[in-house]
Amino acid sequence: MRYFKNLVKPYIAWTAVMIVIPIFMMLLYSITNSGNSLVNIQFTFENFKRFTEPVYLSVFIKSIKLGLITVVICLVLGYALAYIISQFKESTQGVLILLVTIPMWINMLLRTYAWISLLSDNGIINAFLDKLGIGPIKMMYTDFAVMIGQICDFLPFMIIPIHTSLSKMDKSYVEAAYDLGANPVQTFFKVVFKLSIPGVLNGIIMVFLLSISTFVIPKLLGGGQYVLIGNLIESQFVSVGDWNFGSALSIVLAGIILFAIKWMKKIDTGEN
Amino acid sequence: MNTLIELKNITKTFDDQQVLKGINLKINENEFLTLLGPSGCGKTTTLRIIAGFDEADSGELLFDGIEISKLPPYKREVNTVFQKYALFPHLNVAENIAFGLNIKKTDKTVVVQKVEKMLELVGLSGFEKRDVTSLSGGQQQRVAIARALINEPKVLLLDEPLGALDARLRKEMQTELKKIQKEVGITFIYVTHDQEEALSMSDTVVVMNDGYIQQIGTPTDVYNEPENRFVASFIGESNIIKGTMIRDCLVSFDGFEFECVDKGFKENEEIEVVLRPEDIDIVKPENAKIKGTVESVVFKGVHYEIMVRTELRSYMIHTTDFFEVGLDVGLTFGPEDIHVMWKMV
Repeated sequence: MRYFKNLVKPYIAWTAVMIVIPIFMMLLYSITNSGNSLVNIQFTFENFKRFTEPVYLSVFIKSIKLGLITVVICLVLGYALAYIISQFKESTQGVLILLVTIPMWINMLLRTYAWISLLSDNGIINAFLDKLGIGPIKMMYTDFAVMIGQICDFLPFMIIPIHTSLSKMDKSYVEAAYDLGANPVQTFFKVVFKLSIPGVLNGIIMVFLLSISTFVIPKLLGGGQYVLIGNLIESQFVSVGDWNFGSALSIVLAGIILFAIKWMKKIDTGEN
Repeated sequence: MNTLIELKNITKTFDDQQVLKGINLKINENEFLTLLGPSGCGKTTTLRIIAGFDEADSGELLFDGIEISKLPPYKREVNTVFQKYALFPHLNVAENIAFGLNIKKTDKTVVVQKVEKMLELVGLSGFEKRDVTSLSGGQQQRVAIARALINEPKVLLLDEPLGALDARLRKEMQTELKKIQKEVGITFIYVTHDQEEALSMSDTVVVMNDGYIQQIGTPTDVYNEPENRFVASFIGESNIIKGTMIRDCLVSFDGFEFECVDKGFKENEEIEVVLRPEDIDIVKPENAKIKGTVESVVFKGVHYEIMVRTELRSYMIHTTDFFEVGLDVGLTFGPEDIHVMWKMV
């Protein structure tokens, strides 16, 4: 056993260098002024105070709102798909899940660009609508476009955990519910859904986490004026160059996500 | 006794494999009926067809004289105790038991009373708030029975319910189940591969093999008067010997003629004889027709299992007396110990 224990050491080193130290650096950046030298560090809460300014606060609220809507739509679509897939025989299920994951093999940027050519004013959808005599509908650079992009990108992350919990569920629970007089609808809500809650919560966490921190999708489909937390953080680091404020924003975002996960886990253990 | 369930020529095929090849069976009210057979004989499928989880390919299923083949399981007046209990892990003991009543929107106070009564029946009073996953196998079993019985079904189906329990607990639950069946006074259809379980609990034993019913009878019938080689060898230990029925009450095997009590066979019909190991007595060689030598002796607790090598075969004998290996002995048995059965085709 001692021999195997040593095998852990490289991972500990890896985690320290690649995760713990960067997080510590971020923390340090977030509570210091810009232009500090290591010899003369000035601590400040200015960066966090800036976050409460209405401009930034509204970005956060917008991001959370959009994240929640994405989660809800993904949950409804994803649960239905996962449930339908879980009704097939096992070998077919494998193929269907593969199909669900295939889009994930393609670079996210490419997938998002594909949406631009579909949704833009002279894109494929509008060309089709034009043929039908319906005037061009503005879809690019709207909430709708950003949401479509997010939902399509993140849906597999909802389907897979739900499918996992549905497919490993013992079929005898369903039979037992039927046996005790529950019709298919009652069986679904009183047994199947309740037992799949762990998968549902995992899916919610995944999709919320991804959609609240994304910056590529709103940038491409929402346009330059469309700012979510992800974009805000990106611009602080890349264009503005205010690493301190960017770090503070990242820390706040991480805090929100951590809180959301904690809360979800609490629901999970409360249910069982 | 009234017939409650009737199966008429039921067949079922799964993936090219015919599991049931024409099952005809009448099940009475208040009967404890056991479907007994080796795994893959079709007993569980028969139970699932009665419960409504599987649909027969052909044949009729009558419940109280009404055809119910197309009725979904949630509309049938039967309840099932599943092999692995299938208790809902997200509900506690009381909620599990109350599931059926809550589906029927029964009044809350009635539910509480009935759950309490059921827990008392299965000996789990005070377990209402317990988490089902924290219960032992035997306790889960009792909850599963209570959950089924609270719906006051006309028939309780039990699919190898004692399979997961250890030997001692299984014995205990056998007695308990029989007691519960008497108390609630409904039909129990019990599936098992354990012959001892079947013999000790049932009013009627249905022996199945290879998709067919081999014999239907009381436990004593199937043990003492097995209809064919399969039943004889599946239920209890037995010596099965090919022979000829010379005429009523006279049978010939191993080169000797013996008086017996069996009638109704054709003259000189080829038959098979069953001799139960405990029915054979070991005597001095000069006092018996069949003579042999003791080949092996194994102590089994209550009795010795002795193999005696004779000219044509080895006989298995169960006796409380000890005989040394190599001893020359004779084997005797009375006319009523010889069970003549049809030869299997």
